[in-house]
Amino acid sequence: MLTSGPVVIMQMPERLNLGGVRTFLQEVEPLLKCHRPRIVLDCSQVRYIDSAGVEMMLHCLEEAMKRDGDLKLAALSPESEVILELMRVARVFEAFATSDDAVRSFNAIPAEAVLQDVPWYANVFGELGALKQAS
Amino acid sequence: MLNAIVIVGPESQGDGRCGETAAKTLPKVTSGPQGTPLDCVEVLGCSVIERLIAKLRRGVEKISVYRGISEPPSCADIHSASPIEFCSAETAWGGAAQRLATCKDSGAEAIVVIRITGYVDFDLKDALQFHREQGQAVTRAFDDEGPLDLWIVDPAGISEGIDILSTRSGAEPARYFVRGYVNRLRNPRDLRRLVVDGLTSRCGLRPQGTESRPGIWMDEGAQVHRDARIVAPAYIGRGTRIAEQSLITRCSNIESNSQVDYGTVVEDSSVLSNSYVGIGLDVAHSIVDGNNLLNLERGVTLEIADPCVFRQNRVPRQGRNVQSPISSGVGSVQFVQAE
Repeated sequence: MLTSGPVVIMQMPERLNLGGVRTFLQEVEPLLKCHRPRIVLDCSQVRYIDSAGVEMMLHCLEEAMKRDGDLKLAALSPESEVILELMRVARVFEAFATSDDAVRSFNAIPAEAVLQDVPWYANVFGELGALKQAS
Repeated sequence: MLNAIVIVGPESQGDGRCGETAAKTLPKVTSGPQGTPLDCVEVLGCSVIERLIAKLRRGVEKISVYRGISEPPSCADIHSASPIEFCSAETAWGGAAQRLATCKDSGAEAIVVIRITGYVDFDLKDALQFHREQGQAVTRAFDDEGPLDLWIVDPAGISEGIDILSTRSGAEPARYFVRGYVNRLRNPRDLRRLVVDGLTSRCGLRPQGTESRPGIWMDEGAQVHRDARIVAPAYIGRGTRIAEQSLITRCSNIESNSQVDYGTVVEDSSVLSNSYVGIGLDVAHSIVDGNNLLNLERGVTLEIADPCVFRQNRVPRQGRNVQSPISSGVGSVQFVQAE
């Protein structure tokens, strides 16, 4: 699993069938239970996808949205795109050419740019006092 | 007396263009490892081969059809009721050459030799008239893109042993330019184009069946649910079933014995014969053949393993149209197995 700031990039397995989905769900479920989960599913390695895989993606999106988060897809192969369009779910997801593009779309601040001893919003708004003053 | 020889198979090796046939099949079909030749695929109710033979029957006394063994079995499935024998590609051409010699002996006035390489709207009478006026032994048809595999041969005028069908033959044939529509069916995209051109009357290929509403052709035994919507132009083939809440639109064709299930949208697509399209799908810019989907927009072919999504429908043999000219194999059409 790769992380990039508050956005988590999950590498999807090569085979998104029932077996692959079960394993993958075990990894992704804890992330979905966070507050405002922001997840990018990197599909670059997906070679096989069936209805279980599509259902799992919808489930993850639903869970993320329940908690005011979002789930985006990245690096979909043309085959995966055709499957999603065929199943009428392509329009539900935001899809990006690369994981980086997907991360940027969240307008997130990369982890390395955030100092560990200051809150992440400090980079945007400065000190909390200044923010209060501005508001 | 006018005879015709129809060759279904790859080009003769002497022509030096043998690679072309590889692309002239659907990328993958369940019933054959090499894919169905596009000339054998049902287009608006009838394959190009069937249409050609039906056309020839209107002016030719005897038609011989030679087929190559390299053609996949799926083609045999399409014409399952026909008595066409398989022979190797090489012998198909050899057989055709033998047949030419026989025609010469029998005193045939002219022989039309056609290797099926797509759909051509040509006027046989006009071509014959041109051939007579030119006074040459061989006339070959051309279009803007080059030569077509359509020759008119004067059997009396050719010397024995000359490979008249080869473009490398010594004598330059007379050139007859086809003014009508030509679609070489080089790839599945051309097949789709032929469907669109047929439905929009851009060529002489007319859909089978009856035009139930302007631009909507329904073939024999087609069942469309009252809550399904068909938007013209569209073709609903023989024995097809269109379930409720489904939508067939933008020059789509559903070929014989196929089924489009509940709520599915078929847009700018061809569903080839004996295909099942499952519930609640969006099929757009594609060709569906059994459990294979070819998306023309993205150039992607998918094999769908789930039979609830796509599958090949099995149909009884008697489900075929017995009036089909290639299936009947009676009358003046002769199917030949070459040695």
